[in-house]
Amino acid sequence: MMQEAQPLILLCSPGDKRSAGIQQARSRLGLPPALLISYLELLQGASLGELLEQQMPGGRMAELLERQAQGDRMAQLQEQQAKDGRLDELLEWQAPAGLTAGQTKQQMPAAQAAPLLRLESPGGSFEAERALIALGAPDAGEQDDLLHPFGQQRDPYPLSVRAAGRLKDMPGVLHHPSQWFRGYCRLLAGVQREAAALLPAARWQNHPGDIAAMTDKRRTQQLLAAAGVPVPRPLGGSQPPAGYESLRELMLAERMHRVFIKLACGSAASGVIAYQINPATGAELAVTTIGVEQYITRPPVYYNAGKLRRYTDSAVLKEIINWLYSHGAYAEQWIPKAGAAGGSFDIRQLVVLGEAGHSVARVSTTPITNLHLRSRRMTPLEAGLTEAEQEQVRRTAVQALAAFPRSAVAGIDVLVSSGSGGARRTYVADVNPFGDLLYDVEYEGFSTYEWEMKKLTEYRNIST
Amino acid sequence: MTEVKLAVGYDEYEDGQRMNTEIERLSASPEAAQLTSLIIGDWGQAYENSSDEVVEALVKHSGSFPALRKLFIGDMSFEECEISWITQTDLSPLLPAYPELQSLTIQGGTDLGLSKLQHDKLEELIIITGGLSKKVLAEIAAGSLPNLRRLELYLGVDNYGFDGSLEDLLPLIEPGKFPQLTYLGLKNSEIQDEIAEALADAPILDQLHTLDLSLGTLSDKGAEVLLASERIKKLQALNLSYHYMSDNMITRWRASGLPVDVSDQQKSDDDEDWRYPSITE
Repeated sequence: MMQEAQPLILLCSPGDKRSAGIQQARSRLGLPPALLISYLELLQGASLGELLEQQMPGGRMAELLERQAQGDRMAQLQEQQAKDGRLDELLEWQAPAGLTAGQTKQQMPAAQAAPLLRLESPGGSFEAERALIALGAPDAGEQDDLLHPFGQQRDPYPLSVRAAGRLKDMPGVLHHPSQWFRGYCRLLAGVQREAAALLPAARWQNHPGDIAAMTDKRRTQQLLAAAGVPVPRPLGGSQPPAGYESLRELMLAERMHRVFIKLACGSAASGVIAYQINPATGAELAVTTIGVEQYITRPPVYYNAGKLRRYTDSAVLKEIINWLYSHGAYAEQWIPKAGAAGGSFDIRQLVVLGEAGHSVARVSTTPITNLHLRSRRMTPLEAGLTEAEQEQVRRTAVQALAAFPRSAVAGIDVLVSSGSGGARRTYVADVNPFGDLLYDVEYEGFSTYEWEMKKLTEYRNIST
Repeated sequence: MTEVKLAVGYDEYEDGQRMNTEIERLSASPEAAQLTSLIIGDWGQAYENSSDEVVEALVKHSGSFPALRKLFIGDMSFEECEISWITQTDLSPLLPAYPELQSLTIQGGTDLGLSKLQHDKLEELIIITGGLSKKVLAEIAAGSLPNLRRLELYLGVDNYGFDGSLEDLLPLIEPGKFPQLTYLGLKNSEIQDEIAEALADAPILDQLHTLDLSLGTLSDKGAEVLLASERIKKLQALNLSYHYMSDNMITRWRASGLPVDVSDQQKSDDDEDWRYPSITE
């Protein structure tokens, strides 16, 4: 049935590559442009309603709200269709902003003109980073930590709102990762509340709670493991390490001499260490993106180094690892990755609504494969994966996104273990809610954003 | 040519799989008799377990591999074990066990030994390490490899086990030491300039077709001496790739018309301090 295009409300940094890419994709598909809501303006105190009003002047906003209110007929229709199995499964994803997942199946208001809300990466500007750290402060106005998977744990050396406001822009510096994440979770909680009140029938493309869970690797890996998705074995199981000493004790006790340690709320390989200890010689070695500036009179400053660092000095390693754990960290078995072209690789696999689309093999001569660290890109075929292995990667990635039933889009990092013959196994290393910024790769003739917009639109057409 | 690679991964090792039983199984398989090339990869936590059992098993079953000409001990990536942490052992018992062997490649220098390096037919010896000890250099110098055509030594750095100096390399380039040698690689070294200076006018160059000084810290200092040498002009190939020479020196090499590879120039820490923001995906 023909219908009006569903409005897309994009929470983003307007003008960045992501929002521009989405607008371009919508324009190519003949869809109306997304309404751009600026994270920074929200953080500076503007309400979602005000910002939407600005985007839709001349009463169009009121019209949107009214259109939402009507449509009971559509709701009934939808409920009927929901009895079809596949739709039933996906219904949870459709949870309107005003409802919790449990309510979904009992009352489904019309989705007809209800907008879709999409959260983009909050990165890209120091102002936003600083404002998020301030929002995570113990004395911030917003204290809703419900979306924070480990919200009850305290952040080390918290910064007050004032102190956060005084932070200086130093490129790549990790100012206060855990307080930043707390601030982000609070922002998500606030936006979720506002959206629920203002646009009760709107749907989240990825629910804010899922975004928070995907951004915390501890929670991500828990959810994946609980859903039966293959993940690298976590060090310590349910008793994870708390710092350098317990990390090393557990590594020796479990004979897991090679691990990846990851900042719980890091992305883009920020705060990632490939760490190993040699049980025979006692030597230790870390390859990491973490750079350190040492000072005599004040604590060290940690930053994201574009060129990987190697550390073998125990005193330095102890300091870095303890700092990482103070902000929340996760350690897992280092799965030896399959090799290609003189390096090793993993696969970034985009999944949208249960279908695996674009994929890129990221080949690196270091253990950390992220593309901005100058890894080489290849197709999975070029990297030597057989069709059966590629299918296994896709299946694993789809399975991973399914562990987040309120989300429609994510970029999944899939490891393929080294080994020959049929011995290669797949593991999910990460689920990136904003992992779809992939250039120069097509699927069925579409860019990542085009394919997402198309899939989301088609899905809506089927389901209403 | 038939080639097989055997490897025991971390999990397989923890599950009880062992390289010596893998070798034994291969020796009993129908392909063993035709096998010409065998690659021994990770034998399981090679930072802790040496290649002892590998050597033992290969010696024990040598009769099952009559066609074997090529052997690689320790083919593993940094995903499995740091090169400088791969624990080897004395590999020389392999040589009498495989009298028809032509090529031996070894990766990993820790605890490596070649105490009786004697073989009449071996044509290639390649040792890849993060740091090769002077003990092994002395063993190579004391060895007898009359048919050796290619010698490649990745010398590495002090930190990872290179405890030698130029003095320890000089016996290897004595004329007559390896009468058949045509490819010499003294590479991946932190004293690459010194090596270049020592080799630039060495008589051994007259018998070589390739000199390989790649993957090290070669700078204009060593390059200057090489470029001034008459002997270097007879080489069919001079591999200087991965180096720290200046743009000007690269231009001079290109203008020389010599068959030289000056690719993969390293910039001293130009982008060392490039930093990136955390939140991008």
